[in-house]
This record gives sequence, C-alpha cells and structure tokens, in this order.
Amino acid sequence: MNLLRSEWIKLWSVRTTWVMLGIGLLAEALFAGLYVGFAPLEEIGQLEDTMTGVGLLLVLVLVLGVLVVTAEFRHGTASSTFLVTPRRWPVLVAKLAATFGVGLLAGLAFVLVNGGLALPLLSSRGGSLPSASDAASVYAGVVVSLGLICAFGFGIGAVVRNQVAAIIAAIAALFIVSALPELLPGSVGDYFPAQAIGSLHGSSEGDGSLGQVAGGLVLTAWTLGLFAIGTVLVCRRDVGE
Amino acid sequence: MAELEVRNLTKRYGRTVAVDDLSFEVHAGRVTGFLGPNGAGKTTTMRALLGLLRPTRGEALVDGQPPVQMTDPLRTIGAALEATAFHPGRSGRAHLRVLASAARIPMSRVEEVLELVELSGAAGRRVGGYSLGMRQRLALAAALLGEPRTLILDEPANGLDPQGMRWLRDLLRAQAAEGRTVLVSSHVLSEVAQTADELILIRGGKLVSQTTLAEFTAADAGWVRVRAVRLDELARGLGEGKATVRRDEEGALLVEGASAEEIGELALSLGIALHELAPQRSSLEERFLEVMGEESETPPAEGEAGA
Repeated sequence: MNLLRSEWIKLWSVRTTWVMLGIGLLAEALFAGLYVGFAPLEEIGQLEDTMTGVGLLLVLVLVLGVLVVTAEFRHGTASSTFLVTPRRWPVLVAKLAATFGVGLLAGLAFVLVNGGLALPLLSSRGGSLPSASDAASVYAGVVVSLGLICAFGFGIGAVVRNQVAAIIAAIAALFIVSALPELLPGSVGDYFPAQAIGSLHGSSEGDGSLGQVAGGLVLTAWTLGLFAIGTVLVCRRDVGE
Repeated sequence: MAELEVRNLTKRYGRTVAVDDLSFEVHAGRVTGFLGPNGAGKTTTMRALLGLLRPTRGEALVDGQPPVQMTDPLRTIGAALEATAFHPGRSGRAHLRVLASAARIPMSRVEEVLELVELSGAAGRRVGGYSLGMRQRLALAAALLGEPRTLILDEPANGLDPQGMRWLRDLLRAQAAEGRTVLVSSHVLSEVAQTADELILIRGGKLVSQTTLAEFTAADAGWVRVRAVRLDELARGLGEGKATVRRDEEGALLVEGASAEEIGELALSLGIALHELAPQRSSLEERFLEVMGEESETPPAEGEAGA
C-alpha cells in the first residue's frame, strides 16, 4: 500500500500527467460539443457517436502508462526507487495498480464530460437519449478500457524500457497491429488489443464482436502477459550504467 | 562483521570488465574514502552494494547479507549515486516524498532533511532548474531520509562550492562519529583527504590498496630526481636493482626505492656524470597519482622498469 501511495505521488507530481489528461478531456469536450452540437441529428444514432474524443484519450492514457516505467529509467530515478525497495516486483505490482487506477480515473472524468456536456446538448436539440442501462454499460466499458490500456502501456514500457521505442511500440500495438486481423482467417482478429477495446466499448459493428466481458478479459490477458514479461525483465536487468 | 563487504566481486559488461575480483571491507564509525580514477569501477561497485546490479561473480554484502534481503532498506543504507538521477519535472520536495512514502517514513522527516541540506527554500521548485550543487544536496537529503546506519555516496563533492565541501566534510565526520558507516567515492584524493580515516584505492576494477590515511601518508619513502648524461643507461642499471624508475615531463628520472647515495654510487660505477641528484618527498596528491599510475605520459617501456 505504501508503494502504491509512492507511485501515486510520482504520477501526480509531474506536469505530464495533468497535461495529458487535461488535453484528452478538453478534446472530448470540444469534439463532442462540436459534433453533437452541429452534426445532423439522424447521424447521432448511438451513445458511442457522441464519444468522439475517446480515441485520443485512449492514446494519451496508453502513453502515460508507458511513461510510468520508462521515465524512471530515462531519468535514473529507478535507482532510488529500487534502493528503497530492493525487491523489485512489488514496485511493479504497485505501478500496475497505479496505472490501472489513473486510467480508471481518466475514464470517470471522461464519462463526466460526456454525460455532462454531450448528452444534455443532444437532448436540447431534441435528439433521443440512450436508455440508462445502455449508457451504463457503454460508460462502464469506456472506463474499464482506459484503466486497462494504461496498464497495458505500462506493461510495454516495462518490456521495452527505452522511452521512445516503448511509445512507438505501444502505439503500433494498437494501430498497426490492429490492421492485421483483417488478413487473418476466422475470429482470430477479435483477440487483438484494439479489437478487444472495440468489444469492451460494446460496439456491434466493425471491430470487436466478442462482447463486453470477453473483450475486457482479452485486454486483461494482454496486459497481464506484458506485465509478467516486463516484471521478469526488470527484476533481472541491472539498473544504471 | 563488516558493515559493507565486497567479496571477489567481478562485473563484466560484454567484453569489458568493470570490476575485477575486488574484495574489501568497510567498517562502522569511520569515513572510508573509495578512490580511483574515472572508470575505475567505483560506481559499479557501489551499485552492486546497493543491489542495483547483479555481480557476474562474487558478492557484495550489507551487514553480511545480499542487499536485496535488507528488511528495512532506507534505514539500513542511504545512498546518493548521481546528481542527475531526478525527474526534472518533479520538485525536490516531491522527490523526497515519493521515497518517504515508499519507505513509510513520515512526511515531517522530508522537511527535516530539506532543512538539513539547506534546500527548504527551493524545495517547491522543479529539479530541472536546480544547479549541480543543489542536486548534490538533494541527493544527500534522499540518502539521509531514513537516518541510515550506512551511507554510500558517489562523488558527493562534485559541483559543491568550497563552503559546501566544508559542510559536507563536517556532515560526514559527524555521521561517522555517531557510529555510522560512511563510504564516499572520489577521483580526487584531496576531496576526501581531510575526511577519510580509511582509503580503498582501486584502478581498472582491481584493488590497488586498502589502507588508513595515516599509513598511506607514512608509506611515502620519497623519491629521487635524477638528471645525468646517458640517462637511459642509468635507468636500466637502476631497473636491474629494486628501484622503480620513471620519467617526469622534463625528461628527468624519478627514482623510487633507491637512495641518493645508491644512485650516485651506481652512476660512478657506470661512469655516468650526474647533473642533478635531488631527494624529494611527494605531496599527498602526487603520491595518490603515483599509486594510481596516472603518469600516463610516461612511455610504458620506461615506466615501472623495476616493478
């Protein structure tokens, strides 16, 4: 618990965290506001259509997760971190929890922005609001996906460790690799991270047809897999020099 | 039992050997200077003592145990490794809070150490804007956070002004006087000469000597500066005996292990005319450079002919 607290202080004591989440939420407010405010009503069929900023926030939160570990190696703070806690795996568990937590928090903030801005705007234009149960499940999916993607980014950072390489790898894992499934037979593609996010958001069309719970489990599996590899690597490798 | 112990430590990076079969002990209640030129393996050894890297062979022990087994690390060992190891965007205070909370140290202690290193005024500012001296003091504050029994400081004097150096010296002496173990590295002897009781000298990853400062100073038998015709021949003659011969930058011979009388008699027997025969005593710093073999300008063929 003390390690989680330490990681939490680490996260919020640098401007990066505030700036990245701020940009993500502002963008949603702006995009969603513009879209819901001006798009033809008949185009706004589902709640998902109002969440135009979710993609950007996902990327920002993913990168934030990467930075949680790569910044420590880049700036050499890993030395003091592992000096305080020489047994390294508990630190990594704390980071996993912290990234998941930050992602969830970003998701909740996103829901507040979307629910507090886009939906009232939609209703004021006379659009039809989603049912409470639909909204709840879509929102839950968004919150969980942000939590998981932040932890997923952290896992990639732990494996790759070099900041620039890790960010590229993380983004590639979502966007470039997500194009692959179309070339693959059957439903193999549904198990890729980007498709799992799609399922988690409850989108029925295009990517993601696993269903929300299965999508969440798939993304969790990816995250834990990366976390396991990353933990082994970080525990084995030397720190510094 | 030694508070810190390095036993046959070897650390290899690929084909480079950073530390080569190094063994020494560091004891409580005194300041131990860990000296060697840059690249001698000081930092690597310290990192091994802190459990940050795995030895290729051998072991580094803290209170007789591998460092990863420390039950209360921050109260056992405090370390200041490099003055650059901070996130530039985090404030000095936040950096210490991160460490304090991980080690379950009350936040009031953060303010105490900030006060101690005279950084309270700048604690809220981002470390990116700190001077090197301020970073050194922040690193020291982090090392002192847990009131550890052992301090490991890597080149803590870098970037300190004379006042800061003096302050550091007093601090280290006080820590040792309280019975703590202090290991402090430097590549400049004068930085630790006024502080250290004990010296560990390493070069090329190997132990050169472990000695007390008093012994180190006393061990200087002096040397003799010689200028003569046919210097090479004289150097060869001296090299056949027990003497160590090298050249200084003016081309004169510096002879160790032979007295002025012996050299004069040898010159006479060889029929060599002496132009200068001057016994000298080296300063502490010269002695250090000598031991460290930093007279790199001397061609190896002529250096240490009798060694």
